[in-house]
Amino acid sequence: MSYGSFSRGLGISAVIVFVMTAFTPVPIALFHAMRAPVHEEPAEAIVVLGGSVSLEGVLSDGSLRNTLRGITLFRRGLGPLLVLCGDARSDGPVEAEIRAALALELGVPPSAILTVVGARTTKGEADRVSALLRPRGVRRLLLVADSLHMARALPLFERRGFNTFAAPAGEFIATADAPEARLAVARWLAREFLARMYYRTVGY
Amino acid sequence: MIEIFLLSLVALSSVGAYFLGTNRLGLQAQSLLAAGARMLEVVGIALIFGVVNMSIGIVMVIATRMLTHWFLSLYMVNDISLWVLSLLQGLTFHWWRSYDSGVGSRVQDRALRRHRG
Repeated sequence: MSYGSFSRGLGISAVIVFVMTAFTPVPIALFHAMRAPVHEEPAEAIVVLGGSVSLEGVLSDGSLRNTLRGITLFRRGLGPLLVLCGDARSDGPVEAEIRAALALELGVPPSAILTVVGARTTKGEADRVSALLRPRGVRRLLLVADSLHMARALPLFERRGFNTFAAPAGEFIATADAPEARLAVARWLAREFLARMYYRTVGY
Repeated sequence: MIEIFLLSLVALSSVGAYFLGTNRLGLQAQSLLAAGARMLEVVGIALIFGVVNMSIGIVMVIATRMLTHWFLSLYMVNDISLWVLSLLQGLTFHWWRSYDSGVGSRVQDRALRRHRG
């Protein structure tokens, strides 16, 4: 195959993928296929996985959404403990502490809030949450993460001996009805696909 | 709705460019197909650059994690700017190859002759 026909073939493929991603509901269908189903059950702790925080101390959209989801679940009585994860950004603000302050302001009692700091990966969060909760006898978790992240996170907690239920907080994506929004979903899918491949390769 | 609006914009500007090219700039309508094929070549090359850049990035992130105490996020390679830069790399590589194989030189020579005379 010549250089020209090979690169043209790749180019045609790229254009087809772009058109299908931006102008058809394919990414939304893939999102629904890859996400973890909601399975809310009463648990002994509600664990909200980390997102990100800016240097100015502002939670990212996903982090804020997950935090509010965790607080809502707590206030509905689905768990007596609210575990908020989130590392510091360089020497800046700590995500878990900002989340904890928000939870306090929204009426969660201080005695019910635990923070997990220092984990930079989902696997690291699973390790630290396990070290924090297993000595307390906690075995049933209600996990809060975005829908795609949840599918990767659930097995990590299950393998550490927790009976884990999913309370994802990313359903807003079902309304992605413009090309730019669908491209954002596709990028999110690619990111999660990459992360799953990595986790599978290194055996997490 | 927004899809139809966006595609209509592109269709309108494409028709405008076609008439401008054929009527004012003296371009041949038949060569439009060849131009489309070359555009696809550039996209293909940009895709190769994108995949290569991502692969190098993944290897560098994993190596940094394994060999040092630094933590780099794999999500860094998912930055959209990497694909824009890959497109620029693809364009440059494509035109480099064109000039070297004479195609670009012929285009340039024709443009120069037109300019002079």
